[in-house]
Amino acid sequence: MSSYRVPRALQNGFDEHPDHEVIELRHNGLDEVLAAVRQTAVELLAAAPQSPSTLTVRAGTVAVEMTWETAAAATTVPGAVLAPPVAATIDAGGGNILAASTVGVFYRSASPGAAPFVKEGDHVVPGQQVAIIEAMKLMLPVEADRPGEVVEILVADGESVEFGQPLFRLAAVEA
Amino acid sequence: MFGTVLIANRGEIAVRVLRACRELGIRTVAVHSTEDRDSAVVRMADRSVQIGPAPARQSYLNAAAIIEAARQTGAEAVHPGYGFLSENPDFAEVCEASGLTFIGPPAEVIATLGDKTAARAAMSAAGLPLLPGSIEPLVDVEGAARLAGEIGYPVIIKAAAGGGGRGMSIVEDPSEFSRAYQQTRGTAQTLFGDGRVYVERYLASARHVEIQILCDGYGNAIHLGERDCSVQRRHQKLVEETPAPGLPAELTARMGEVAVRGALATGYLGAGTFEFIVDTENNFYFMEVNCRIQVEHPVTEAVTGVDLITEQIRIAAGERLTLTQDDVRPRGVAIECRVNVEDPTRNFAPTPGVLEQFVPPGGPFLRVDTHGYAGYRVPAAYDSLLAKVIAWAPDRAQAIARMRRALGEFTIEGPGIRTTAQFLDRVLRDPLFAEAKHDTSLVARILEADAQAT
Repeated sequence: MSSYRVPRALQNGFDEHPDHEVIELRHNGLDEVLAAVRQTAVELLAAAPQSPSTLTVRAGTVAVEMTWETAAAATTVPGAVLAPPVAATIDAGGGNILAASTVGVFYRSASPGAAPFVKEGDHVVPGQQVAIIEAMKLMLPVEADRPGEVVEILVADGESVEFGQPLFRLAAVEA
Repeated sequence: MFGTVLIANRGEIAVRVLRACRELGIRTVAVHSTEDRDSAVVRMADRSVQIGPAPARQSYLNAAAIIEAARQTGAEAVHPGYGFLSENPDFAEVCEASGLTFIGPPAEVIATLGDKTAARAAMSAAGLPLLPGSIEPLVDVEGAARLAGEIGYPVIIKAAAGGGGRGMSIVEDPSEFSRAYQQTRGTAQTLFGDGRVYVERYLASARHVEIQILCDGYGNAIHLGERDCSVQRRHQKLVEETPAPGLPAELTARMGEVAVRGALATGYLGAGTFEFIVDTENNFYFMEVNCRIQVEHPVTEAVTGVDLITEQIRIAAGERLTLTQDDVRPRGVAIECRVNVEDPTRNFAPTPGVLEQFVPPGGPFLRVDTHGYAGYRVPAAYDSLLAKVIAWAPDRAQAIARMRRALGEFTIEGPGIRTTAQFLDRVLRDPLFAEAKHDTSLVARILEADAQAT
């Protein structure tokens, strides 16, 4: 995969620019706490030897928890490490739906012609990579957020997706 | 001219930009959060892309998602509206790096003018009048206190990176200075991540008057007269009008000239606003430049007949200004009132919810810019501006009468919904406003008087 420069603005994220007339952040305190938690999570994930299956960060009484699946360690794809894993945790209303957590292009495999991450009938575990969404040349892994069997893949390889668009339908499996 | 423009905003301004694009024959792409999927602009746009969840940070402030949406839809330019990413130099830079035209000034101009101390220095160099105060950011409290003494009290300490009325303190007495200085630095660091502050003289009785400018990429710049925005509540504008009542035409002409000079000196491009304050002796002082279209731009459009959004788009597409300064001949008086979903009796707390009834006013010489419609759910996630009512008339008294008539017609009802319409009417019938003897303290006076009356 070719190298490129990530624009500064995208690395740091944007801060609210106060507008004279309109924008008034009413939950500044909450936003700051969320930002701090997110930042901590990103740093922890970067420092971890491999992607954990769960990560808990608490701010109140300072608690950090990371756990790893010992049997089915999620495979990490080269080139997919530029950004923290994107957990597709949006409940699109259809029950066991894995939805896109960013606008971008949906890919089922790590590179053209390679085997897809998952196919219909596969069982997935939380944290397992199931697809890639490319947004602004960033390859963002899409990971399962719960165990399940892939019963339907709702988007074709290479198709553009919106935020919140359903990608996979999962059926519950026995734990 | 562009084939497709992406509108990176929401609410009434997104609709306003869409209308300009449609009149120019440009296809439109609306980007929206999950919260806004039923919004007016999404219904009207040629295409729409959902870019994130409700929080602005993950949607309307999410540059990567917006750029990706532009790529998916083949947009060639991005109109940022006001607020959100409109004055973010990093976003302007990312647009250019991605091959998109940012409809606004170049990133480096936004960066310079967005830093209040840098802007003060640039405008001082261009010969604009500034309030007595520091040009360079202050380094220590002793030097700052000495400077405050030279300027003369009361003074105001402001964050260099500030805006929106936040990160500033008024100091009446030298004994309070040191504490206020440390406090403002701390607040500035927290709010803007930049603790630099500067100090200038504070004018207790002042009017806020701003000049609209347009600059093309060929060294042509004009101004389109002034707007008086003195009716404010906690630095939030409620009523704007043009011309500024009671100010000599010769004075506002001079303000227009220096604004054009300041714009040319900084390499400005597109539409912008130079803010000034005017004291009781009609001295004016540069305050700051807003590098975007403003909420109150329609009053300028009403008296000049110039479509400012269309001009922004044309300039961004590389066209020359077709207007000269002589072509700008303002006529009559225009007033804008901001109708917000807020409860004036509960300290203007926002009242989001469903609009069961929504019937905007009409009639001659009246314009309503809004994204509201009957059945629309005003989300709690964003600002409370619901509609702008703009009235034009040959003179100010008729414009006020027309506006009061319009506000009375405006029907907005829904569970828990309150609006500022009645309060705006209260402002319009205040004798100080009617006689144009008001200043930025008017709203506070009205609220105080009402509190004592009950």
